[in-house]
Amino acid sequence: MSMSTGISLQCENILVAFGGLKAVAGVSRSFESGRIYGLIGPNGAGKTTLMNALSGHATLSAGKVILNGRDITKLSVHARTRAGLGRSFQITKVFSGMTVLENLKLAAFAHLYRVQPFWMPAGRFADVRQSAEKVLEQIGLGRLAHAPAENLSHGDQRALEVGLALLSDPSVLLLDEPLAGVGHERLEQAIELIRRIVAGRTVLLIEHNMDVVMQISDEIVVMVQGQLLASGSPAEIKANPAVRAAYLGNDE
Amino acid sequence: MSMLRLDQIIMAAIIAAMMVVPMMSASEESLNLVSLILIWGLFAVGFDLIFGMAGMLSFGHAAMFGTGGYALALLAPQFGFLPALLVAALAGAMLAFLLSVFALRVSGLFFSLLTLALAQLIYILASTKLRAFTGGLDGIPGVPRPVMFGVDFYNNRNFFYFLIAVFVIGVAIMAVLRVSPFGNALKAVQANDVRAEQIGYNVQRLRQCAFMISGAYAGVSGALLASLMFYVSPQMLHWSTSGDVLIMTLLGGKGTLLGPVLGVAVFEVLKEELSQFTQHWYGILGIVFILCTIFLPNGIAGLFAVLGRIGKGASK
Repeated sequence: MSMSTGISLQCENILVAFGGLKAVAGVSRSFESGRIYGLIGPNGAGKTTLMNALSGHATLSAGKVILNGRDITKLSVHARTRAGLGRSFQITKVFSGMTVLENLKLAAFAHLYRVQPFWMPAGRFADVRQSAEKVLEQIGLGRLAHAPAENLSHGDQRALEVGLALLSDPSVLLLDEPLAGVGHERLEQAIELIRRIVAGRTVLLIEHNMDVVMQISDEIVVMVQGQLLASGSPAEIKANPAVRAAYLGNDE
Repeated sequence: MSMLRLDQIIMAAIIAAMMVVPMMSASEESLNLVSLILIWGLFAVGFDLIFGMAGMLSFGHAAMFGTGGYALALLAPQFGFLPALLVAALAGAMLAFLLSVFALRVSGLFFSLLTLALAQLIYILASTKLRAFTGGLDGIPGVPRPVMFGVDFYNNRNFFYFLIAVFVIGVAIMAVLRVSPFGNALKAVQANDVRAEQIGYNVQRLRQCAFMISGAYAGVSGALLASLMFYVSPQMLHWSTSGDVLIMTLLGGKGTLLGPVLGVAVFEVLKEELSQFTQHWYGILGIVFILCTIFLPNGIAGLFAVLGRIGKGASK
């Protein structure tokens, strides 16, 4: 995990085209270490596709992704995770049929062992149990360790999503709507949780709730029609007339 | 998790009892029947690693099963039985690797269809194109049995003990594999392959390893069947062999260690009994299979799991 200031993630002219549609139409941007970036924009602006391009789920038509100075454009998804790029998904993808702790242990095994041990029962790995339990406490699900993951409330599943990404100890974390579906009464608590667990990492997060994203982010990046329109502090973005016209204006 | 559950103990007891029956009676029929169950059981236990654990439906396991049989038939006379059995395992794994190079490019139904097509290709090769080596449709008669430690395994009873030894070793190895981190990773791949890849698992390599191990099991069991029957033919490579092991596994309960063995037992016993009355035994077996998939979606093992839960509730 790189704690020093500097650039941890760099997009160089990223283009993702589906047929004739340019979902991401040439995005260049650097993300500084240890800061939380809120990625906002109207529906269909290409936010999730940009995230997919960064994590390796979408193929780039052109451009480069550079992580901590290393070109990861050609790497597969799991290799990017090993290189230090974590990600949570918009649609919850926890492992059903397993408990919360088992979910986290899977992520711990993936992180700690390049070749999965096959000669010994999984229960005997104390190192894995320790890192899984550490994250379990961090995400505040200690009381639900042995609950089946699919039985969790929506908000708790979102927390588990983030926990799974956290176990690879990523220097850059991509969070696709980590707070979607979290009840109003638990929102403050959830925001606090995210701020705490991502401390020291570079975070790019997509969030539709404007109050939340303004509160949680150090910097806002606005995306419209596959391109970056503006970026700046939450206060600057709120005051930016172009952003208001393209995006925030819709709410008024 | 690591605690032995009641249903697993019951299933293990049934299988152990099954192995004792031929030891108690003098009948050659029960000896032959249980020998077949052990061999096909080992095949099904290996098949479930990719089907039940990794969630991949291979329709091409006959290729590895038959190749194991041919490997033993061709190599045992020159190199001895155990080295040939080892080569049968390696041949199964290598062939699985070759198939996976093509079949793992696609997933789901396309994986099944591609494994089916590639396995049929091997069937055609063995039955016609490579006639010089394989004896074509006539197959190879006189497949040997081991002769070692001064024991004559041409005696069916002695060979039965040899089969028990291989079966127990095979199941024990699989028992560890399934609860190991590797086994857990396969379950993760089945539950959600996108997530598994995202948390850092090399999903394709895991699938490939599972397919190769499963292929090795198929190779060994195919070799043992050829040795039991003193004969190997392209029928072992035929797609219906792949279908049989699938039916057996589903009947017994996919995703469980011992369920598939019970599925094999039911399959073989029904086949044995029904074929004495009618030549349409396969049709009746099909009806039994359909009823089972409707009323026992988790197979025989699912039935025991329910019993285990009732037992657990009663003991509290």
